[in-house]
Amino acid sequence: MSGCLSPDRIFLYLEGELGPAASRAFEGHLGRCPECRAAFNERRLLHEAFTSLAPLEVPDGFARRVMEAIPDGSGAAFRPFAALAAAALALAATLLGFRLAMGESLTSVLVSAGRAAWAGLGGSLPLLAKTVKAAGLILDLLSGLAASFAGSLGILSSFVRPELALPAVGLGFALTIAMILGARRLLSIGEKP
Amino acid sequence: MPEDSKLVKQALKGDRKAFEMIVRRYEQPLLNYLGRTIGERETALDFAQDVFLKAYAALPSYRPAWKFSTWLFKIASNHLIDHWRKKKLPLVSLDQPIDGEEGSLTPQASDPGPSVVRVLELAEIRDRIERALESVPEMLRELFVLRHVSEFSYEEIAEIKGLPVGTVKNRVFQAKEMIRRTMGAP
Repeated sequence: MSGCLSPDRIFLYLEGELGPAASRAFEGHLGRCPECRAAFNERRLLHEAFTSLAPLEVPDGFARRVMEAIPDGSGAAFRPFAALAAAALALAATLLGFRLAMGESLTSVLVSAGRAAWAGLGGSLPLLAKTVKAAGLILDLLSGLAASFAGSLGILSSFVRPELALPAVGLGFALTIAMILGARRLLSIGEKP
Repeated sequence: MPEDSKLVKQALKGDRKAFEMIVRRYEQPLLNYLGRTIGERETALDFAQDVFLKAYAALPSYRPAWKFSTWLFKIASNHLIDHWRKKKLPLVSLDQPIDGEEGSLTPQASDPGPSVVRVLELAEIRDRIERALESVPEMLRELFVLRHVSEFSYEEIAEIKGLPVGTVKNRVFQAKEMIRRTMGAP
């Protein structure tokens, strides 16, 4: 009979993988073709067996065995600070070992490590102070800008309708910035010769 | 029972009990998959433990948007591939036809060959399938197991294996026809 069912379609039908229209056509042919029916019955039995293979037995205490294989403290948690601290410690230990191996005494290594720590702290304090000062200046600047923006909005809203005031002030600020940038380019301010 | 993603979240906070629950939930499906694919229960148990340890170590990289079972079985599948590489088994390319002829395993049903299962009882068929499975190349066997033992959808298998869905369907079908032929062989 023409248009017989291929085995792969039979399996797909048994798995419910054919769409409704294809399934109807499949069933229609099956009702008319005894050869395909025989092939279908054979594969249906196979399919039933495929999907009902006995599960393998998991021994008692398997989960416990797995958990015991995970060492305590080897948490899966992502701890970036712990990793950073561990890396710093490993680096310090390596440097210490290296300097001891080079023949330096433990006392001199510890003294120089202490000096280096103080120097590092001394260098970082001014940097920290500068950072705080810069942050204060930036905050001042931002609050000034916000105040002038609000002020312009108030003045403008007394002349134009309130719903037009906000876009107008925005446009004004954008034009100002564009003018500043244009002037900067024109005068080559900040550009290297 | 808490959802997988919830358990993963707890495990990431260091809750070992939560991960133990994950192990208990997946020990059976994972052992079935590994055992049926490699054909040795004891080795499969060792592999299952290895896979859980790898999954535990990789938990920080897991994203809740992913289906946990698919993620776990992907780790297991990679573990099997490593095992086959170490054993130097010939890895069948899943993108190429097995016999060199794409249609060689797709005869028309009008020529069904001997009906090898007609007279057999289901239990006997299962026994024969288990034996016949050993003769199927590992890579095809794995896909068959993922589909019919682990009961993943073709789309999920495609995700686990990184293959097109059509290729997965074709290979699973080839595995089934190989099993059928082997069962009918004298």
